[in-house]
Amino acid sequence: MQRKLFIIVMLITLSLTACKKYLDVVPDNIATIDHAFNMRQQAEKFLFTCYSYLPRHSVLSGSANENPALGAGDELWFHNFYQPYSWNIARGFQNVVNPYNNFWQGTQGGKDLYQGISDCNIFLENIGRTPDIDQSERLRWIAEVKFLKAYYHYYLTRMYGPIPIKRVNLPINADPETVRVFRDPVDSCFNYVVQLLDEAIADLPDLITNEADELGRVTKPIALAIKAEVLVTAASPLFNGNPDYANFKDSRGVQLFNPVYDPEKWVKAKEACKEAIDACHAAGHKLYYYSQSVRQYNVPEVIRTQMNIRNAFNEKWNAEIVWGNTNSMVDNLQIQSTPRGLDPALRASRSTLGNCAVPLKIAALYYSKNGVPIEEDNSWNYGARFNLTQGTPENKYYIVNEYTTVRFNVDREPRYYANLGFDGGVWYGQGKFDADDTWYVSSKKGEPAANIANDSYNSTGIWPKKYVNYVNVIQSNTYSRENYPWPIIRLANLYLLYAEALNEVNGPSNEVYYYLDLIRQRAGLPGVVDAWTAYSTNPTKPSTKEGLREIIHRERAIELMFEGQRFWDLRRWKKAIDELNQPITGWDIDQVTPAGYYREKVLYQQTFGLKDYLWPIREVEIFANNNTVQNPGW
Amino acid sequence: MLTAFYLIHLDAGAQETLVTGTVKNLNDEFLEAVSVVVKRTSQTTLTNHLGEYSISVQPNDSLIFSYAGMEPQTIGVSGRKVINIIMRPAAGREQLEDVVVVAFGTQKKSEIVGSVTQVKPEELKIPSSNLTTALAGRVPGMIAFQRTGEPGADNAEFYIRGLTTFGYGRGPLILIDGIESTTNDLARINVDDIQSFNVYKDATATALYGSRAANGVIAINTKEGKKGKTNVTLRVETSLSKNTKDVELADPITYMKLNNEAILTRDPLAPLLYSEEKIDNTVPGSGSYIFPATDWRKELFKDHTINERINLSLSGGGDVAKYYVAGTFTQDNGLLKVDKRNNFNNNIDFKTYSLRSNVNMYIFPTTEMIVRLYGVFEDYNGPIYSGGDMYTRVMRANPVLFPPYYPIDEKHKYVTHIMFGNYDGTYLNPYADMVKGYQDRGRSKIGAQLELKQDLKAITPGLKARGRLSTDRHSYFTITRQYIPFYYGLSNYNIRDNTYNIYLINEAQGRETLSYDEGLKQINSTIYGEAAIDYYRTLGAHTISGMVIGYFQERLNPNAGNIQESLPFRNIGLSGRATYGYKNRYHAEINFGYNGSERFHQSHRWGFFPSAGIAWTVSNEPFFENLKDKINNLKLRATYGYAGKDDIGSASDRFFYLSEVNLNNSSYGAVFGRDNGYSRPGISISRYSDPNITWETSRDANFAIELSFLRKLNLIAEYYIRNRYNILQQRSSTPASMGLWAQPQTNIGEAEGKGVDIDLNFNHTFKNNYFIQLMGNFTYATSRYKVYEDYNYPGAPWRDRTGYPINQRWGYIALGLFADEAEVANSPTQGFGEYMAGDIKYKDVNGDGRITELDMVPIGYPTTPEIVYGFGISGGNDRFDISVFFQGSGRSSFWIDPEATAPFTPYYYNSDERNSGIKYVNQLLKAYADSYWSEDNRDLYAMWPRLSTYPITNNIQSSTWFMRNGAFLRLKHIEIGYKFTPQLLKRIGLSSARLYLSGVNLYTWSKFKTWDIEMAGNGLRYPNQKVYNLGLLVNF
Repeated sequence: MQRKLFIIVMLITLSLTACKKYLDVVPDNIATIDHAFNMRQQAEKFLFTCYSYLPRHSVLSGSANENPALGAGDELWFHNFYQPYSWNIARGFQNVVNPYNNFWQGTQGGKDLYQGISDCNIFLENIGRTPDIDQSERLRWIAEVKFLKAYYHYYLTRMYGPIPIKRVNLPINADPETVRVFRDPVDSCFNYVVQLLDEAIADLPDLITNEADELGRVTKPIALAIKAEVLVTAASPLFNGNPDYANFKDSRGVQLFNPVYDPEKWVKAKEACKEAIDACHAAGHKLYYYSQSVRQYNVPEVIRTQMNIRNAFNEKWNAEIVWGNTNSMVDNLQIQSTPRGLDPALRASRSTLGNCAVPLKIAALYYSKNGVPIEEDNSWNYGARFNLTQGTPENKYYIVNEYTTVRFNVDREPRYYANLGFDGGVWYGQGKFDADDTWYVSSKKGEPAANIANDSYNSTGIWPKKYVNYVNVIQSNTYSRENYPWPIIRLANLYLLYAEALNEVNGPSNEVYYYLDLIRQRAGLPGVVDAWTAYSTNPTKPSTKEGLREIIHRERAIELMFEGQRFWDLRRWKKAIDELNQPITGWDIDQVTPAGYYREKVLYQQTFGLKDYLWPIREVEIFANNNTVQNPGW
Repeated sequence: MLTAFYLIHLDAGAQETLVTGTVKNLNDEFLEAVSVVVKRTSQTTLTNHLGEYSISVQPNDSLIFSYAGMEPQTIGVSGRKVINIIMRPAAGREQLEDVVVVAFGTQKKSEIVGSVTQVKPEELKIPSSNLTTALAGRVPGMIAFQRTGEPGADNAEFYIRGLTTFGYGRGPLILIDGIESTTNDLARINVDDIQSFNVYKDATATALYGSRAANGVIAINTKEGKKGKTNVTLRVETSLSKNTKDVELADPITYMKLNNEAILTRDPLAPLLYSEEKIDNTVPGSGSYIFPATDWRKELFKDHTINERINLSLSGGGDVAKYYVAGTFTQDNGLLKVDKRNNFNNNIDFKTYSLRSNVNMYIFPTTEMIVRLYGVFEDYNGPIYSGGDMYTRVMRANPVLFPPYYPIDEKHKYVTHIMFGNYDGTYLNPYADMVKGYQDRGRSKIGAQLELKQDLKAITPGLKARGRLSTDRHSYFTITRQYIPFYYGLSNYNIRDNTYNIYLINEAQGRETLSYDEGLKQINSTIYGEAAIDYYRTLGAHTISGMVIGYFQERLNPNAGNIQESLPFRNIGLSGRATYGYKNRYHAEINFGYNGSERFHQSHRWGFFPSAGIAWTVSNEPFFENLKDKINNLKLRATYGYAGKDDIGSASDRFFYLSEVNLNNSSYGAVFGRDNGYSRPGISISRYSDPNITWETSRDANFAIELSFLRKLNLIAEYYIRNRYNILQQRSSTPASMGLWAQPQTNIGEAEGKGVDIDLNFNHTFKNNYFIQLMGNFTYATSRYKVYEDYNYPGAPWRDRTGYPINQRWGYIALGLFADEAEVANSPTQGFGEYMAGDIKYKDVNGDGRITELDMVPIGYPTTPEIVYGFGISGGNDRFDISVFFQGSGRSSFWIDPEATAPFTPYYYNSDERNSGIKYVNQLLKAYADSYWSEDNRDLYAMWPRLSTYPITNNIQSSTWFMRNGAFLRLKHIEIGYKFTPQLLKRIGLSSARLYLSGVNLYTWSKFKTWDIEMAGNGLRYPNQKVYNLGLLVNF
């Protein structure tokens, strides 16, 4: 009996063990996060994952990839048949329910930057245990990821102001109280970004030696340039002693903005700018000047100057590009910026769409040919700017000879003609390289570039030619394009930042003029002091700190037009409330005659309130985490 | 085994004689478990499954044969050795099926404690080749509804006692001959092959299925052969099928005018799409190719179609073996037109064939072996896109820009392809999409089952053992062949002499020849095995029974698409039941299931699910004796217990204790280099590991009353409370600043369900053979959130889900449409992007001056009905019969999909459409054209707000504006039959024949007129069908 019992017990035990085994269906090699760091080849993918959160600066509309600086401000205008998410911000429809270009949560055209930061932290926590990676490479990768972590924090801070800093990741199963983090004061945010950048700078390479494989990855000059931009932003009025946010506190009573202006922030910014410029020069960066390709015809000086200006932005990896975003090529943006019907034989072709329109107020910012604002130029009749006139032989490389146009288009600086396309405007390139036989835009009703299809027209009659590389060729079914990495930072930007910081610290000086004039020279303009002295109704403007500040701001707007800078500049200067409350206007594009066409027509009355300086936080984030306070006014 | 057989004989004793025999009913069916009692000694035996009994008696004894629902008979032995008995139904009462199939066995009806609903298979017989479409209103306790009528895709949705979970798996466990099956398997089973159709609803009835039972169980057993000569049954049906209702579209002139208005009303600058000339010259029905007015629906669809169904079964057998063999053929045709110029068929032609063979063999007198083999095969030929896609394409095709195709003209006389019309190649031509190719699909499911039953009465009377092994193989494939249409557009025309020229638009892309595209290839296999020991014994007034069963199941999807889903799905379990009955008055039952599932971490793999119940048959009490002629049955039942569910996440989310990582996700990669020459994919995480995730569990209580009055009126009413806990839900307390890839999930949710199932029927047979039968059933199932982790909505208690039904929707209260811009300016800000006069105005519930998520309140009823009911009447005599059945549903709301119906705006159902480069622009519903807001007619309560040619996010918010009541009542089924006289039939060798006419979905009562209301918010797809059917059923 006992033996039988023993056998039965044995059998039951055996079958129970078998049952346990029966349910073990998962083999050992199922991919888990541990596999991401067990060899260099996998860890490299994780490094690239950290890079993948870099915002797509060149993308105007897309599900998770928009640059609000292009569509949410006043540089570009669209229409109902082409609506980037960001355009809703420009039209005043930003909201807390489902904010547009939400980079906190990665919705409505925004990227999930907190997820990106979290991935950077995973990388930094784990890269130490990848065995087959040599120490110098490991240090470089760590530095790159620290840079990215800093950049994502900076991107969020610039949008939202104070944000919760994410130094390390919380455990997945952290209890709900722990994950309900507070926002950190804005000074801490900037300090943390700078601290990370400093840590990264030490181990980053001075320049990319393997250009075929690595151009676009972060180098020391890039990190120094971003540090300069960060410190200038932190020193600017929005973040430096802004009285509007004196009462902005969280639920613990912590003040999120420091209400006291600190001039020392400008000093730090100035030093960082200089350091960045020096590092760029040492790495071989210099302002771009066009060198003619053998294929092209004889190029007159006027066109050459235009090429100097246009190509400085859109010729890939030219010497002026400090940081080009290889993960954000300028492709669709070129289609959206080239007028449909630029080649009149292909007016029905849909290979170019021309949906990006430039408001008149943006075109008005460009200087006169004398290098001063048109409203200040004593030789430029500002009051008669909407009177009709004719293209002349002297201007034939700008405006088609004898083409009826408007005075607004005449006697402007070379950057006006290099960066904008307009009715009657000469358009060099795009397959026509003989300066005496070029395309030109004709966009009055019934003309090739006029509105015939709802989804491919330009609502103001002005196109941002700057985006369009001159070698692109329009064909009936396709648009052959030279796509180029989006220049996040080019040297001209650093010069202007430095000039701005110098002026804020010490006021006007020859050093300020020097850097401004380097840029004006490339643009074919006289120096600041000469130009104002000779042509301005306010000739002493460059000699005062305030006057020079205005000049620097205007120079920045013109030089960096459409580059995603003005949107943030207006905010940090606290000028958006003036500039973005102006009406958006364009030419009356639905007219046949020049007299009808060249009337300024209001398209939209933009409104900008105090609350709009900072992005709203999506309300569900606050519902999930009551410790995160909403930005003022939202 | 043989010894066991002889033991019984020895036991019989030498001095007495042994009487043997069989017991049958009037239908010549053998009766199992008829009690045979020797009057003198009260010695008792039961007939076996063959209706056989043997009992030792003295020559002058009397035997009493009794069987519930049957007239008892007392027969004198008178020295006979063989006594065969035919039992007749008790007077005035229809014969009831006395043995009920319960989990892993059978029980006497009188002993049932749990909630088991038996459905008579013939009640599910409607002219349809999809069984699931017959369920609504027929099964007390089942919520069912059908959302589309497309052949091959028309499965109804059904839930036992509604939805009590907001987790993943919501459907019941479906068992066909004891094997877990899919909804599709259930849909394809032929009603004629069903022996029993039972629904297990409470914990006592389902607990033995343990981890798979929380949503209830549908158990179907197929017919087995009957001893006797071969019986052949043939059923032939032909039916005519047409749409219950078509969505009406606006005429082409209105379409153009309103499209122009939609452009101008939002952007006065934009050019118009249609010129005055075009609008003035377009005449619907003119057939003009210059100013086409295309009725796409007419071009694509026929008005009706004809379907066929044939079912043939043979059954019979002898002492050693009996068999049931059935074959079914059905053919369902779609409503799509076919272009004669193609020599392939692009209409839906859906054929199913099934073959079923159940053979019972008695290899020894106490050993039964059952072999069940079946195969179900589907052959589908149809359009490249589904029939439903063709309907949604018609809803997004432009009616005035081009005809479906141009006739061949002089200039194109050598063209051999169809010259499809288009505007510029980017417009949708649904006709071209329909006829440009075809798709073949095949599905086969083959199963084999071996069951052995051993009577162990040699060890102790009433002891039995059995085992079952089963496997099935399923395969499915699709293949498409298509050409690329050549599109032609109008290049110029002369309106005066009505001439035009066309040109080839897509010269570069078109292709005349067919290409071949290998589609899906799915295969999977299932293996199942069980072994059980049963004991049943009546000892005087006491009846005891017990059962223990062990089972395992493995399912494998070899081409699942990813490693985690490719691993076997396994369940293993041990279950048991014990019952006790006293004098057929008191019954008690205890059940348990102890189950393991591979999905959980080792520490949570096993779950224990006990349950218990009691029943009191009041009518069997001595004190009830006087009432028994009037109330012949009164029984009260109560049960309580647990059931589990391991199906808590989708197949791709199986192993919650493991993280899931994609080590090659190109969406998270990056690229570098002068010419972008160096790229690497990225790493993404789609789930974090959590070893604590475990079963969802249901705790059920069930109370029931059974009442039978005057042997005519029967009532079963049940009330239940069901508590669900450990429901898996996403944590919403995790802010985005946590930076997680995927929101963690956890077993935190709780819900409570309550409801009533009522089943009522009345039978009366008049003296002249006329009969009348009334039946009705009613299901009310409601459920509430008890614990749901949600955001912390400050100052908005109405957003708390607790206490609200599952499938309750939250939305904004629409106050009307904005009358003018002044009202827009003076109203609370609505935070959904662009809006203006004529757009929907929402109520600021919390009064903070703006419309945000805090202003969402619970609106309407839940989206699944809380009430489903059916009632019917039938009557006739032995020649004619007629039956009428109504079905209805109540307490549900649905929302007209504002994005799918928004006129003139693009709408895509999937990413293929989105990425195709084709414009899918919504048509204009007539209902909207008749009632919309315009600047000239500022109707604040118009059906559609201000027109637009692009989506207005403000208007597509979940709100009361597009909410409709989903209640309806429909004439679901009507049937008139005629039985031919036996005299006539005998001459042609038939034993019975019935000819019948029936109809399905003939009429619907509801307030919603735009489309068939049962399709709810999704009415633009393949409509539900109205069917007229002629059938013939013969036996020989």
